[in-house]
Amino acid sequence: AEELAEELWSAGLPGDLPELEPECRSLLAAFAEGSAALTDCLGRRARPVRLCQGCHGHYRHLLAQYGTIARAIGNSSESHNCAKSILTSDRLQIVVTLSEFFNETWEAANCANCLKNNSEGLSNSTEEFLDLFNKSLTCFEHNLQGQTVYLSPNNYTEVCKNCNETYTKLNDLYNHLQRMNRQGGESGHSAHLCIDVEDAMNITRKLWSRTFNCSVPCSDTVPVIAVSSFILFLPIVFYLSSFLHSKQKKRILILPKRIQSNASLVNIQEKYS
Amino acid sequence: QLTPSSFSRIGQLSNVDLNEDIHELETEVPRQRPNEIPHNEKLLSLKYESLDYDNSENQLFLEEERRINHAAFRTVEIKRWVICAMIGILTGLVACFIDIVVENLAGLKYRVVKDNIDKFTAKGGLSFSLLLWATLNASVVMVGSVIVAFIEPVAAGSGIPQIKCYLNGVKIPHVVRLKTLVIKVCGVILSVVGGLAVGKEGPMIHSGSVIAAGISQGRSTSLKRDFKIFEYFRRDTEKRDFVSAGAAAGVSAAFGAPVGGVLFSLEEGASFWNQFLTWRIFFASMISTFTLNSVLSVYHGNAWDLSSPGLINFGRFDSEKMGYTIQEIPIFIFMGVVGGILGALFNALNYWLTMFRIRYIHRPCLQVVEAMLVAAVTATVGFVMIYCSRDCQPIQGSSVAYPLQLFCADGEYNSMATAFFNTPEKSVVNLFHDPPGSYNPMTLGMFTLMYFFLACWTYGLTVSAGVFIPSLLIGAAWGRLFGISLSYLTKGSIWADPGKYALMGAAAQLGGIVRMTLSLTVIMMEATGNVTYGFPIMLVLMTAKIVGDYFVEGLYDMHIQLQSVPFLHWEAPVTSHSLTAREVMSTPVTCLRRIERVGTVVDILSDTSSNHNGFPVVESNPDTTQVAGLRGLILRSQLIVLLKHKVFVERANLNLVQRRLKLKDFRDAYPRFPPIQSIHVSQDERECMIDLSEFMNPSPYTVPQEASLPRVFKLFRALGLRHLVVVDNRNEVVGMVTRKDLARYRLGKEGLEELSLAQT
Repeated sequence: AEELAEELWSAGLPGDLPELEPECRSLLAAFAEGSAALTDCLGRRARPVRLCQGCHGHYRHLLAQYGTIARAIGNSSESHNCAKSILTSDRLQIVVTLSEFFNETWEAANCANCLKNNSEGLSNSTEEFLDLFNKSLTCFEHNLQGQTVYLSPNNYTEVCKNCNETYTKLNDLYNHLQRMNRQGGESGHSAHLCIDVEDAMNITRKLWSRTFNCSVPCSDTVPVIAVSSFILFLPIVFYLSSFLHSKQKKRILILPKRIQSNASLVNIQEKYS
Repeated sequence: QLTPSSFSRIGQLSNVDLNEDIHELETEVPRQRPNEIPHNEKLLSLKYESLDYDNSENQLFLEEERRINHAAFRTVEIKRWVICAMIGILTGLVACFIDIVVENLAGLKYRVVKDNIDKFTAKGGLSFSLLLWATLNASVVMVGSVIVAFIEPVAAGSGIPQIKCYLNGVKIPHVVRLKTLVIKVCGVILSVVGGLAVGKEGPMIHSGSVIAAGISQGRSTSLKRDFKIFEYFRRDTEKRDFVSAGAAAGVSAAFGAPVGGVLFSLEEGASFWNQFLTWRIFFASMISTFTLNSVLSVYHGNAWDLSSPGLINFGRFDSEKMGYTIQEIPIFIFMGVVGGILGALFNALNYWLTMFRIRYIHRPCLQVVEAMLVAAVTATVGFVMIYCSRDCQPIQGSSVAYPLQLFCADGEYNSMATAFFNTPEKSVVNLFHDPPGSYNPMTLGMFTLMYFFLACWTYGLTVSAGVFIPSLLIGAAWGRLFGISLSYLTKGSIWADPGKYALMGAAAQLGGIVRMTLSLTVIMMEATGNVTYGFPIMLVLMTAKIVGDYFVEGLYDMHIQLQSVPFLHWEAPVTSHSLTAREVMSTPVTCLRRIERVGTVVDILSDTSSNHNGFPVVESNPDTTQVAGLRGLILRSQLIVLLKHKVFVERANLNLVQRRLKLKDFRDAYPRFPPIQSIHVSQDERECMIDLSEFMNPSPYTVPQEASLPRVFKLFRALGLRHLVVVDNRNEVVGMVTRKDLARYRLGKEGLEELSLAQT
């Protein structure tokens, strides 16, 4: 078929053949390479999640390439436009599927949330957050130096004491970001922050409260029990006292005017009325 | 004077030998019962009157109807549609108001308490948070309870029993007044914000009814404003039709279920139903849900989205993921049985509680204190449950409105708090839609148990609040638990989405408590927005009703009975064929002559022992013949209007009367006719004569003495009568059957029983 096509091509026939023009072919190749690079990047940065920080360049690049393919309609003649032959000429439409997949992943990760508005680089608040995050990680490491991870939980007090400030700052900043995000939530983004930030916070929180066991809330069971049993006791007093002291409501019966069908009843009535 | 110890004799007669019966009576009677008895369920209160569904077809009425031509009738018809549209719009707006205010106030409250808890979790001193929560709840509920108890007690509860009675033909005092509406709306907002185990859906039905009754009359007696419109509709017949439209609009706004609303009205007021009315009611429901929808969409910032049709939105059930198979049908039926049993238990407990409340907690101050205590205890129970729970779940986005961390690790929330620390509506939706694994079984079990008792305790307090949402919540909790344990027991071979079972459990529990049938099925279907679940929901509701009815009756019927309302059921009690009109009727009846002395009329009306509201009119001169045959029937309200306008024969002869009395004069006095004491009749006027022939209804319904009770009952129920005259074969009045005479026969545990009349 290829030979035939080339023959036809060299013969200058304007055939409607299932073959790509060279420029389309190069577009496709570029898209393939771009998507390979993006996939590679995504895969490598899956754990701990650094997708948005690391791959936004690849993603933007791929988006541009897809745009070129899609926009190629106007450039070529009617019968030979790349967009048509690459994007819509078969059932599978693999290029479309791939690009949709990337877009969806990007949406789900909510990366737009921690990038600048023009998607070039991280936004200031995200930079700040990551800075603080790195600081707290360094602090953890610094304080754990010379200790093994298998120590009993009690020995983490050092970490808890020294890094408390950084951790609280980080936590507050995260909560602040979340609140900001929720307020601007109507403008298209969902309520999530971008996955990088969320994951970083998750890791830190887990380390802090699970591994180091730093956030031990004061549990004051005794006063709670005392207050609640006092409140629960009140209704019993109330019902008992109203049962004993309140006057029971009485209803006054009214005798209906009625014929008593039973003869004996009539007698009784006469006797007593 | 003899007290009616003849009570319950009917039941004995049907199965005991007659001689034995007499013997028993003779031993019983000498011990005279006191005239005062404690309140019990076997009473009929005198304070309830019947509505006049049947038009009084007197000469004035006929003249007016003849004057109205065809075109004018069309205007009347158009007015009816306009009124229905207005009912829908206003009901929708009221629902929006309630929703928005509740959302904001409850949000404020939960934020304050959450901040407080967060603060004290770190520092210690959580008992202060508990106190704060309990005090906030109690004080909000106190306000809500005070306005209900002191200003308008009829606004208490869900209002569905009252509306049911109204549609049945019983006039409950104050039930459709503007004041009641205001108290109801404020009361429901306060009780939901106060964190009681209540919903705001049931009261919507009452609110819709009041709106309907108000608009259709074109005036408000409470505000003393008469807009001089819709005067044609100022009578019980029309008003009741509009009230049924209002009830439908209320259901429709509450659940986003227009068809369910229509069916609700149909189910409750079915004997007076016609196609035109149904179509109009449907129109009102549609307008109501549409109004709610558009206003809420504007409020939520996505104008004209129209995706929040009701106050409660069960969220979208994805039918692909949550389809059901034939194997699950027996499971659903089993859930129905559980729902029926739990519902019966709920009702039985509530019965004892309500009886206790009627007998001992009848003073308004005590009622307010009780409501406050319940609010405080509800908060305490919630707090203790959250405090003791160790069920922590990771926060996923912002699906949880007020995540409480408490003793959980950072980034996690207490899952008990999603159930307790939220408005009940939101908790229901969470239980339906949270992904599997959001709650552990222990949490759900404890929650069900606690909430069951709290909801049972709360219903019947002097606050305006509904029982729909708490029932759904209890059901959703145990349904979800059931779903989880099902997949656990079968080792995951039945992969059950717990949300689906939560929905079925909710339906079962609600059906077990309120025992509504058709309308509830459709309401549930419309609220879930999923027709696929129609069949299982129907099965579940059917089973729940059958099982529940085996033990006790539905919650609403029970409360109607405890209120001593003369409520007429669908049919006469089955074993009542042996009774005839002669035994049922009241006799002797006070009759008026066609041309009666004014003094006599005034005396009769002032006499408290003649408590009827309708008087048979007989031929005036009994000298010519011995027979004083029945000529017509006149109502107390008509007589009062006549006396007020002094329509006396002598005055007419002296040309003192400027104009003839018109039907309008009767309508202007409707619905609050002045009492007889306020009408002054001088000594001279007492000697005047009054001619009733123009004003009485010349064609009242009558039955012979031999008519059986079921026959009388059918006539009464189907025509919506208020008075039925019993005559002998010479057309002489022997007695009169009223609603209370029929309602006092009831099928009890041991056969037919008879209720006694009482002053309440």
